[in-house]
Parts: sequence; C-alpha cells; structure tokens
Amino acid sequence: MNRSSPAESLDKETTPEALIERFGRDLVNDFDLDDPAFNDRFDETLNFMAHKCPVVHSKVGKGYYMINTQDDVRAAAQDWQTFSSAKGYMPNRPDGLPYLMPEESDPPIHTRWRRVLNPHLSPKVCAGYEQVVRDDANALIDKFIDRGECEFISEFGALLPGWAFFKNVLGLPIDDLAMLVNGVEEGTFALDLDERARNFGEVFEYLDKHLQWRSTQPSRGDLIDTILAGVTYDDGTESPWEHKVSILVDLTFGGIATTTFVMGSAIHHLATNPDQRQLLIDNPELVENAIEEYARFFPPVVALGRTATTDVEVAGTTIKEGEFVMLTYACASRDPRHMDEPEKIDLSREGIPHSTFGVGPHRCIGSNLARIELIATLEEWLKRIPEYRVKPGGEPTYVTGFLRSMRTLQLEW
Amino acid sequence: MKVHIDEEKCTGHGRCAKYAPNVFRLNDEDGYNADAGKTIDVPAGEEANAKLGIKSCPERAISVVEA
Repeated sequence: MNRSSPAESLDKETTPEALIERFGRDLVNDFDLDDPAFNDRFDETLNFMAHKCPVVHSKVGKGYYMINTQDDVRAAAQDWQTFSSAKGYMPNRPDGLPYLMPEESDPPIHTRWRRVLNPHLSPKVCAGYEQVVRDDANALIDKFIDRGECEFISEFGALLPGWAFFKNVLGLPIDDLAMLVNGVEEGTFALDLDERARNFGEVFEYLDKHLQWRSTQPSRGDLIDTILAGVTYDDGTESPWEHKVSILVDLTFGGIATTTFVMGSAIHHLATNPDQRQLLIDNPELVENAIEEYARFFPPVVALGRTATTDVEVAGTTIKEGEFVMLTYACASRDPRHMDEPEKIDLSREGIPHSTFGVGPHRCIGSNLARIELIATLEEWLKRIPEYRVKPGGEPTYVTGFLRSMRTLQLEW
Repeated sequence: MKVHIDEEKCTGHGRCAKYAPNVFRLNDEDGYNADAGKTIDVPAGEEANAKLGIKSCPERAISVVEA
C-alpha cells in the first residue's frame, strides 16, 4: 500500500515553513479543500491532520475552519445549538442556492422532517430492497462480464446506487440518472462557482417538475407522498413548496453521489490486494464488517459545514460567532487517539467507530440503504468475478473538495 | 452488566444491534434504539457483544452503568 507512515508524520513539525516544504502550503493556516494537491495526496494529508492538526483554517473565499479530531467532531456535530446547519453545509456556498431541507436546518424544523422521512429508509424497509439491489448488481455485471473488462465507475459504481434509490425509494425513471449524476458532480466539483450554481439549478428544476407531476397522481404511500404531505412547523405554519423540492434535491445528492466512492474504492482495494480478496471469498461472513472498514477509510463526505452561533473554543482555537466550520469526518475516522494504526486498512478491525455517515442529528438518512448496496456489491462481484485486476494504465482517477469522488477505474479479468 | 442508552444522542446508526442483537433492539419504524432513554440489563454471556456494540456507536450514546 502506498501510504505515509504515522511515524514519519509525527516527526514533522507543523510550522508554516515545514508545512510549505512538505505539502506546498501551510495546511494549518491556509488550507484549501479544492487544492488539487489535497486530491493528489489525500491519504497523506488526512493522516497528517488527524495526528497533528486538531483545527486548521482556510483563507479561501469567506474562510472556514476545519475540526479534525474524533472527539471534537462528535461534540460539535451533537451540539447543534452552537454549530448550526441553518446556513448550509458547503463552504463558500454559491449565492442564491436555496437551503436544502432537512440537512440545512436545525431542530425543531429538522426533527419534524426526519421523523416522517426516517421510516422510509429504516433498516427494516431497506432490508426489503436487498434482493432487488442484488439482482441489479448482477444485471449490471451481465452486461460486461464476457468482455473481460469494464470501466467500473460508469458501468457499475455510478449506476447501482442510483438504481437502488430511484427504483425503490423515489420512483424516478432510471433513464434520467445520468443527467442527475452529472448535475450533482458538476454542482459539487466544477472549479467555477457559477458553474456549480447552474448545475444545481438544473437538478432543482428537474426534481421540482417531478414533484409537481406526482402531486397530480394518486397517492402511492411512498417517500414522495410523505414529502408532498409536508409537516407543520412549531410556529404553526405548513412547510412551503420550496422546502419540499429541496428535500428531494438533498436526498438525490446523498443517494447517488456518495456510495459510488466507497464501492469503487473497495473494489479497487480488492483488485490490488489479492490476499484480502481471497479472505473475503473464503469467508463471506466477513464482508459486512469489511464494509465498515472501507467506509471508514474511503470517506465520500470529507467534511460538512456548520456556522458558529456564538464564540466558541475548539482545541485551543477561538472560533467567532458567524464563522463557518467544517466537521472533517474523514479525519475523525482516522483519529489515532481512538484506534490502532488508523492509516491502515484492517478488515479484522471490530466495532469500528467511524463517522463516514456523519454524527449527530444529521446522520446520513440513507446509511441503511448504502450498507445494503455495498454488501451486495462485494458479495455478488466476488461470486461472479473472483479474479480481477486493475487494467494497466487504468488506475483510479479522483476529484476532491468537501466531497471525494472516483471518476474512473479500469478493471480486467 | 447494565447499560444506559442516551435518548438525545441516539440518531439511528444501528451499529449496536448489529454487533449485539441479543442486547440492543431497534424500533421497526425508524431504526433508532428501542430502549433509548432507558437502562437495560445485558443478558449473561452477551457482555463482549455489548461492548462491541457500545464501541461501534459513532455517537457514544451507550454507557456502562454497572459492569
């Protein structure tokens, strides 16, 4: 494995000069999630920050802090009164982008929505989708298995989560998936902020139309009907239409853009570590735990933001009221204070306390479905294609900001 | 062994019941811990599983009140 050793990290100083020499910039005082160097040296940077930098600051745009230790991330995520979600989760949020319910709200509005939405993605309901997901995984594999090769992301990884979510939960046509995947990707990673806003706008427009159409149809008793029914807020007002559309946008972002990365990363890890692949083939009962370790180590959500509602001190750094704070879930899941050798993938790790699905009241609502997709992928893939490798020259390509995404991965067998 | 499940902190990750299904139960409806807010007995022989369930909770919502 090509990763930095913690000992090497610990020997380095965090002085600006030492950081600039090693990382090309002063990570502690001048971090940038969108810096291509963060994308290229993702593991090394995360491991370093998890060991050495409890809080870092960015000067990009309006600026933001990043909280990097597990205890501080958990404390901030659970303390929604001090670290509010109501001003959004994206650093330097594009102007004019509507806030997404319930992710960009606080209790009690957040609680009202989660109470009615959670039942549609409960462990029990998601377990009922498992066979469909497995059948879909096999249908995708059928299309390329005889070819002896595939581009994993476009032919499997970007499709299965969308199919699982659209078919089972949202009732959206899967023919529109490619457009939405592209809109979400460009809305997140486009270097031009206006371009991000334009792509988000297209996703909003599409989902607004779908919601309008469904409001003219007989009730199916599904998640969409729950959104259409709305909730009553504590002040007695009914949830407005734009909140309902934003929920659909939020769920779509989460449902199609994140699981792909864990899937692709796990499949890549097993392609390059035949001993680990054989371990899971010989012991399929280990897959469920392996998924937790892969989710810990390959975080699609690097960090999500909050806004300080008051002056607050975190690990010796004073964060002023109104400042933006990222909770770096990716670092919290590699905190050496809470696990041995966090920079290593260890499928025998048990009771893995990772924060890949977030922490606090905003815990990923799709976590139960994502786990089913990941387990189904590894189990069905290893049954059908037990021997495979990365195609020469087909190493994975990535793009990283506050999310991380795998763009391509060429495999052959 | 007795453990307490913090109702405020449980947000439905479901890890406790995965590692210790004979100790922790989830609500069918939303998948949150069904005993959130309560102190429960860990059945004899289930202590190790309970500890894994406690460790895996990203919220640290479960605490041992009597070893």
